[in-house]
Amino acid sequence: MASLRLFSTNHQSLLLPSSLSHNPLTSSSPRFVKNPIRRSPIRSVLQFNRKPELAGEKPRIVVITSGKGGVGKTTTTANVGLSLARYGFSVVAIDADLGLRNLDLLLGLENRVNYTCVEVINGDCRLDQALVRDKRWSNFELLCISKPRSKLPMGFGGKALEWLVDALKTRPEGSPDFIIIDCPAGIDAGFITAITPANEAILVTTPDITALRDADRVTGLLECDGIRDIKMIVNRVRTDMIKGEDMMSVLDVQEMLGLSLLGAIPEDSEVIRSTNRGFPLVLNKPPTLAGLAFEQAAWRLVEQDSMKAVMVEEEPKKRGFFSFFGG
Amino acid sequence: MASIDSLQLHSLCNVQSSIGKAKLRIPSNLVVFRRRLENLKWVQVETNRRFVCRAIGDSSTPDEDIQNTQNDNDDVVVVVGVATTESNTPSDSENSVSRFRSMITTLPPVVFVMKKCSGNSIWIGICIAASVLVAALRAYAVIKSRDNQPAGSVADLVRRGQLRSGDRRGISKSLNYEDPFNNPFVKLDKGNSTVEMCGKVYRLAPVTLTEKEQTIHQKRRSRAYQWKRPTIFLKEGDSIPPDVDPDTIRWIPANHPFATTVSDIDQDLAQTNVYQKQGVPFRIRAEHEAMQKKLEALQNEEKLNNLSIDSQNAREFQRPYKLGTKLEGENIQKNSQDNVTGNSSSEETHKT
Repeated sequence: MASLRLFSTNHQSLLLPSSLSHNPLTSSSPRFVKNPIRRSPIRSVLQFNRKPELAGEKPRIVVITSGKGGVGKTTTTANVGLSLARYGFSVVAIDADLGLRNLDLLLGLENRVNYTCVEVINGDCRLDQALVRDKRWSNFELLCISKPRSKLPMGFGGKALEWLVDALKTRPEGSPDFIIIDCPAGIDAGFITAITPANEAILVTTPDITALRDADRVTGLLECDGIRDIKMIVNRVRTDMIKGEDMMSVLDVQEMLGLSLLGAIPEDSEVIRSTNRGFPLVLNKPPTLAGLAFEQAAWRLVEQDSMKAVMVEEEPKKRGFFSFFGG
Repeated sequence: MASIDSLQLHSLCNVQSSIGKAKLRIPSNLVVFRRRLENLKWVQVETNRRFVCRAIGDSSTPDEDIQNTQNDNDDVVVVVGVATTESNTPSDSENSVSRFRSMITTLPPVVFVMKKCSGNSIWIGICIAASVLVAALRAYAVIKSRDNQPAGSVADLVRRGQLRSGDRRGISKSLNYEDPFNNPFVKLDKGNSTVEMCGKVYRLAPVTLTEKEQTIHQKRRSRAYQWKRPTIFLKEGDSIPPDVDPDTIRWIPANHPFATTVSDIDQDLAQTNVYQKQGVPFRIRAEHEAMQKKLEALQNEEKLNNLSIDSQNAREFQRPYKLGTKLEGENIQKNSQDNVTGNSSSEETHKT
């Protein structure tokens, strides 16, 4: 169960200036605003200049799914996974797509994948030989389920993944902190295999009606399978289109799906460039807005927290003549 | 040629008229166009023609101008450089005049432009000087910031290329970027809780999802989506086993490209392979052992073949002729027979 913390006495003082008035509602109702009509100023309680504290039991097995393809599951897996590694946690990312493997491409590790889970099951190699360690961040490892042309028996696909997760927990160098499973698109056998060992899920969606309908269906299936801790990341958010009322806002999406918000990632052309380079977005210096959003989402994932407010673009206020001189 | 000259003269008049809209007359005193070119000889060309340029649209009457010009008896002397040799012949003078005309039509616009731009050159110079000053200040600031870094640290080694950067050494650097809400580039509006970031203004809108609404959504989904995890996978044509929930059966098409219902590997063996922590993986070991056995079998077969064919070994089976050597030969024969027969000799000894 997610720990609900807004204020912690161990942490540093709040970030926003003290001129902003205190919101009594957030202190009494830990997670949600009880009276939505009162628009009091939002205080951020997330502290990005400290290492996040791991909540929940180790290892945290998280499946990243969506239903609809192309919404950004693999991008989210790569960037959130590397963000977790940068925070100092040991991460194993599993590409559970049986036929179309591309997490290795996003991470730039495609030339180093020699063995997959199929070879481990067949006895061609051990599990530690199939894990590919990232040279940039040594506490991040990649495990691919299969090569494109190999067959994985569907009868025990889910069981095989459970064995793998269990073997990772009991390995000599210690259990990883996070096991992130990149789920394939659809609700077919690949989806069933990928969600088998997970105990929490991140649902990635975009603010369009087709993705939302699929996301709702997937959420229902996850709940039927016993996964209750489901959080949402809204990807490819265009604040200008939301301002022009051409796109649903993040709050509209939340209202439709009824899920806690883990992150809202703005549309960024740097995503495509980072994919081409095999260099995830979060490693860019200086960071881009989308990269910062992924980092913040990873931060909330670690602490099992959710977003309390979203940013809505507004018209810039008109400046007077003297504002040019710094007024 | 004459038409070109007239056109050039016309254009000259037009240009000059745009300046002052007044009748321009080349003064009666000397008008000198000096132009020094390489490979040219200075030739003084004198002409008795009075060169008058009249602006278009002038209010004065043309007759009056013509009258005025006719009264002037002064000569116009022009000194130009021409490429030809000095010559005062009439044909040469005509050529030189035509050249002179062409030069007049080309030169004044340049002079005109230069005179026009003389006022702007000061501003251009000021802009250039300002940009040079800014660049110098910026370079100074960069150098100063570099000097402020502590000297002799690992960062210097990385900068000099002696050491790999922290990222590539596998050292995880803790994230320590500034809080976006304290970042000077992020401006917070004190009154309306707006944030200015990357040139855009954002307002913080609170999340409005309540726990009650979340529960309502969960109930809606549980009613809409009824699903059970499949535990039995059957091919088309297979019969359904008894006492099995039909919701847990999954039908697999026969031509599914990436899956098979028949497991090629024993499930227990697969589990053992996954849990193996050290040593040679099962299949590699099995293949290695199989290869070893095959090699041994081949070697044994070769030995047998070699023993039956080799002539040198055949001598061991020969009976010795001499008595002294008879016993030795018997012993040798016995030994060889033992080697060949193996168990049979041991059986014989057992029998005896």
